[in-house]
Amino acid sequence: MSYCVNCGVELESSLQECPLCHTPVINLKETGRELPPSPYPVDKGQVEVVRRKDLGILLSVVLTATGGTCLLLNLLVFNRFLWSLLVIGICICLFVFTFPAVYYSKMPIYLSLLADGIAVAVYLYMIAYLTPSTDWFWQLGLPIVMLVTLCMEIFTFLLKKIPFSVLSGALCLFLEIPLFCAALELMIRRMLFDPLRLTWSAVVLTVCAIIDVALITILVKKRLRNEVRRRLHF
Amino acid sequence: MPSKFRSRQLNQPAGRTRKDIWYKLDLSATVYPTLQRRDFSSVYRLSVTLKEEIDAALLQQALDLTLPRFPTYKVTIRKGLFWRYLEPNNRPGPFVQEDIKNPCMPMHFKSNNRYLIRLYYYGRRISFEAHHCLGDGTGGMCLLQTLTAVYLGLQGHAIPPSGFVLDLNEAPDPEELEDAYMRYATAKVKPPRPAAKTYRIRGTKEPFYTLNIIDGILSVKEVIAVSKKYGATITEYLNAVLLYALLQKQSNEFHLKYKPVRIAMPVNLRRFFPSKTLRNFITMVYPSIDPRLGEYSFEEIVTEVHNYMRYYINKKFLCGDITTNAATKHNFLIRVVPLFIKDFVVRTFYTRVQDKNSSAGLTNMGALRVPEEMKPYIERFDICMGQPFSSRTNCAIISFEDTLTINFASSIVEADVERYFFRKLVQDGLHVKIESNRTGTI
Repeated sequence: MSYCVNCGVELESSLQECPLCHTPVINLKETGRELPPSPYPVDKGQVEVVRRKDLGILLSVVLTATGGTCLLLNLLVFNRFLWSLLVIGICICLFVFTFPAVYYSKMPIYLSLLADGIAVAVYLYMIAYLTPSTDWFWQLGLPIVMLVTLCMEIFTFLLKKIPFSVLSGALCLFLEIPLFCAALELMIRRMLFDPLRLTWSAVVLTVCAIIDVALITILVKKRLRNEVRRRLHF
Repeated sequence: MPSKFRSRQLNQPAGRTRKDIWYKLDLSATVYPTLQRRDFSSVYRLSVTLKEEIDAALLQQALDLTLPRFPTYKVTIRKGLFWRYLEPNNRPGPFVQEDIKNPCMPMHFKSNNRYLIRLYYYGRRISFEAHHCLGDGTGGMCLLQTLTAVYLGLQGHAIPPSGFVLDLNEAPDPEELEDAYMRYATAKVKPPRPAAKTYRIRGTKEPFYTLNIIDGILSVKEVIAVSKKYGATITEYLNAVLLYALLQKQSNEFHLKYKPVRIAMPVNLRRFFPSKTLRNFITMVYPSIDPRLGEYSFEEIVTEVHNYMRYYINKKFLCGDITTNAATKHNFLIRVVPLFIKDFVVRTFYTRVQDKNSSAGLTNMGALRVPEEMKPYIERFDICMGQPFSSRTNCAIISFEDTLTINFASSIVEADVERYFFRKLVQDGLHVKIESNRTGTI
């Protein structure tokens, strides 16, 4: 029988430290003795995963059949150009988009967003492959997809880290939109060999900056925040 | 299978086939499935520790015999257009399993063969877990005691039905299946619900699937003596100790300004409104202390709690509370709104208002009575409130004979509230024995 010297409680004989204050149990009279079994089991349980097996099978079969039959049709009947790549690309995108929901629900959201970005980039490349030049893909298509993916990742990160409210969500959104627009304009200008400066995106930047300042003021001032909540409650 | 049990299983309510049977969710139960998320579901656990090792095969047999007597527990939950509902589940199971370190795991409605109950065994302990949409602790305790009686019966110790132990040969009383809220929601006014922001415990969230348990075991006689010294009942005294612990926790943290400390405490309405229902029939009261009014001594906290309980826990006030809650189900406009919109609104309300309404939960199942013939085989009962919706700690109390068990369940790393709580009990001269599943205990 041991007691915690800090808390004064008696500790169940299998405890090696006080669970309340983490003071180790040192009972000189009981050194070397074998610990009795704990009143609690050692093994952790896992929630049984609900498999959306049927939906997964159905979706895989439909997407594979669609891609496969279009490829065959393309190779054997309508074989003027590789149009089936467009359908196969869509099927791959749909598979990747639905993967976290249907096949593997434990997939981290950041990884799933990255996979979505890669799928879209691959699809764009398939389209570029069918066009006379792939320049637009390398100079505009791929950078835009990368930028959107990055913005989505940052937005998700902010939503997860900041205590969520409509106002804080809106603030994150209006911080990202102008940055995205500015980067987009610079990319377009670079592709068109125009001087690198901001025009229309500067307007977006200004408008969003005003909105951001307003949102920050509302978030900081409790009275304003309550007023907005009162007016917009649902 | 003994013939007396088999005959009961074939019983059907008059004029209704198995396919016709379904149950509306009771008033409380409509909320719990809505709050279901990947890492949270309202599951509670009741345990009984016997004096001999549990025989798993016999326990499974006892469960198979007992469950048909509790039709609202042998169910699955389904979605309708406007409300969810329960329908009988005739799939195999539920099956008894070896106990796990992290009780009250989230319960997906489509897993476990769609059953909303689990039964575990570990050493001499039987643990029953149920989703709160099926019923409250009283209903669950009825099932656990009946199951234990059947288990002991199969071992050769005859336990006659009485109290919480129901007769397996009787058909379920319609009153056992009723939504008793609707019967008693008769007040002419709907008092508003308290909706002030309260102190919320800060702590490091444990990884997914971790529920930290700290169990304090005390002598009922000693606790009664100390409570009497303060002029309070056991519930009032332990409520006051928890409030005191929360106040200490808040004052030892950095806060620009303090917030009120409030406890959400379920009250068993069967004490005031006679009903045999095995489904939910509880309402919440919120004893609180506002440290912004000044520093409270422990004696003052006890007095506050004592007066609060006397003022609010009476038939009239509780009736008003039920009526307020029932108003949502009576309102035609709310009833015709599709379920997914109701889900969204309820979830938003709970997250934004209800969850912030209390700093901790405390439930007291009180002194349990079992049939005299069953007493020699039972050592103690435990109750565990399950994973809290937000990072905080929940306290559940139950007593049997001279053993009072105080069980803290939390999903945060720090055990500050528990420490302040038990140290106060020790300061008051109570002998506390601690058990825990926290790391470093094995």
